[in-house]
Amino acid sequence: MSASAPAIEADAVTKEYGDVRAVDSLDLVVERGETYGFLGPNGAGKSTTIGLLLDYLRPTSGTVRVLGKDPRRDVVEVHDRVGVLPDRFGLYEDRSARQHVAFVAEAKRVDDAPESLLERVGLGDAVDDDAGDFSSGMEQRLALAMALVGDPELLILDEPFSGLDPHGVRRVRDIVHEETQRGATVFFSSHVLGQVELVCDRIGVLHEGRLVAEGTLDELRDRTESPDDATVEDVFVELTDARVDDGGERR
Amino acid sequence: MRWSPLARSESRTVLTSKGAWILAFLVVLWGFRPTYAGWDAVGRNITVGYIQIGVDLFLPIGALLVSYQSLIGERTTGSIKFLLGLPLTRTQILLGKASGRFVGVGAAIVAAALALAGIGLVEHGPFGLLPFLGTLVATLLLASAMVAVGVLVSTVTRRTVTAATGVFAYLLVTLFWTQIVTSVYTAITGVPVDPYEAPASGPLFLALRLTPDGAYNVLTNWLLGVGNSAELFHIVATKLAPGVSVNAFVVEAAFDGGGPWYLHPALSVVVLLVWMGVPMALARRVFTEGDAL
Repeated sequence: MSASAPAIEADAVTKEYGDVRAVDSLDLVVERGETYGFLGPNGAGKSTTIGLLLDYLRPTSGTVRVLGKDPRRDVVEVHDRVGVLPDRFGLYEDRSARQHVAFVAEAKRVDDAPESLLERVGLGDAVDDDAGDFSSGMEQRLALAMALVGDPELLILDEPFSGLDPHGVRRVRDIVHEETQRGATVFFSSHVLGQVELVCDRIGVLHEGRLVAEGTLDELRDRTESPDDATVEDVFVELTDARVDDGGERR
Repeated sequence: MRWSPLARSESRTVLTSKGAWILAFLVVLWGFRPTYAGWDAVGRNITVGYIQIGVDLFLPIGALLVSYQSLIGERTTGSIKFLLGLPLTRTQILLGKASGRFVGVGAAIVAAALALAGIGLVEHGPFGLLPFLGTLVATLLLASAMVAVGVLVSTVTRRTVTAATGVFAYLLVTLFWTQIVTSVYTAITGVPVDPYEAPASGPLFLALRLTPDGAYNVLTNWLLGVGNSAELFHIVATKLAPGVSVNAFVVEAAFDGGGPWYLHPALSVVVLLVWMGVPMALARRVFTEGDAL
């Protein structure tokens, strides 16, 4: 069953922090092999949703399945098959890039060569440099290399373009394409909307914890009655503005 | 084991830090104190006594300082997001953290013990192998208990300053444990406690040995054969010497015979195991329930 199950399934998932509802009755299905862009303004609940998918956080109600498995009960298997680039992460400053990647490879029991993964993300000349000396863009690249360890079936990338220069952005985009060609599913959150347009098969827009729209870019254009040449940004603004204007949607 | 890469990483973190080796250095520096009282008490086994003296003071604080940041440090820097993304259950993460930190602290403290043994060998000649090895095991038990306490503090707190305050509070309580116990005893029973002529109360003596360092001293004093007490070995020997009065709680001085069964020194192993097991169980309970971030 789990072999053909969607990569991600969220069923009526709600996450509350006291009186604050960070994720509100989220229903989400990401099929295998697709590249799904998870968009939303700051504070929309994107990172919380990702935390729920990875069992960093536990839902207040609802169920989550990743690759057909319960991320809480089957955490070892899920994390074995998933690569994660988290948002607002920290590295081990006194360890080299090689040590970071090797650590994940060892934990996942795979024999990926750190050098080749670091080369792939553009850190081939910084393999033995301490992460404490890295710029934010280099940190982001290193985190991506760690996410790629073990050829994961599902890549979850939380704001993968954050801190990257144009070369880095292009490289991430290329890697996402390579991964989907390999058969991996890519789920990423971003507010760099231009990149989403270039990468994603489908887009989900999260606003105030709710999935307010979902579909291909064309479907979203139709839904918002945007012109055919409307960008993701145009569609995004229209979707989220509409919700903001609708007083009943705000908490 | 799934968590062994994490444990290796943690032990490497400890062993490449200055803290572990400062701890080892201080144990040697503080522990090596040749005294007539010590020599009279155990002869050449004073070398083993040096380990007790150094460990009793510095291991608890050193192990706590090395381990209290094990999780809270990852929380504050954000590296916990990588840690939680590894194919490990949260229990395995705790086990990897605790065992790795223990191996690091243990290696440093064994190095310190071997250094003291070497110095003692040169200064005083051969010492008893059995008390030495027994003390080494007791020292590792104490190290594991303190690491467990440190990991617990690191797990239940959300800010480094809170964790540091927790460690400081623990150290204060254990530092003044004798005063706390005797005050509570007096408040409950109405009997004043004079450490020169301590009342023959089983519960009082039991309470005095319930801290990890107290249990450690009881155990190592037993191995050294000086007497049944949570004090340092040379103080115990002095207390039991005829015609000498010191303010120390020693079972043989207070009770006719050996005192109640639960004051048997071997039971200090149980006390240390409880100090290792209960904090780890509590840490697991906290860490596996609810949100990990």
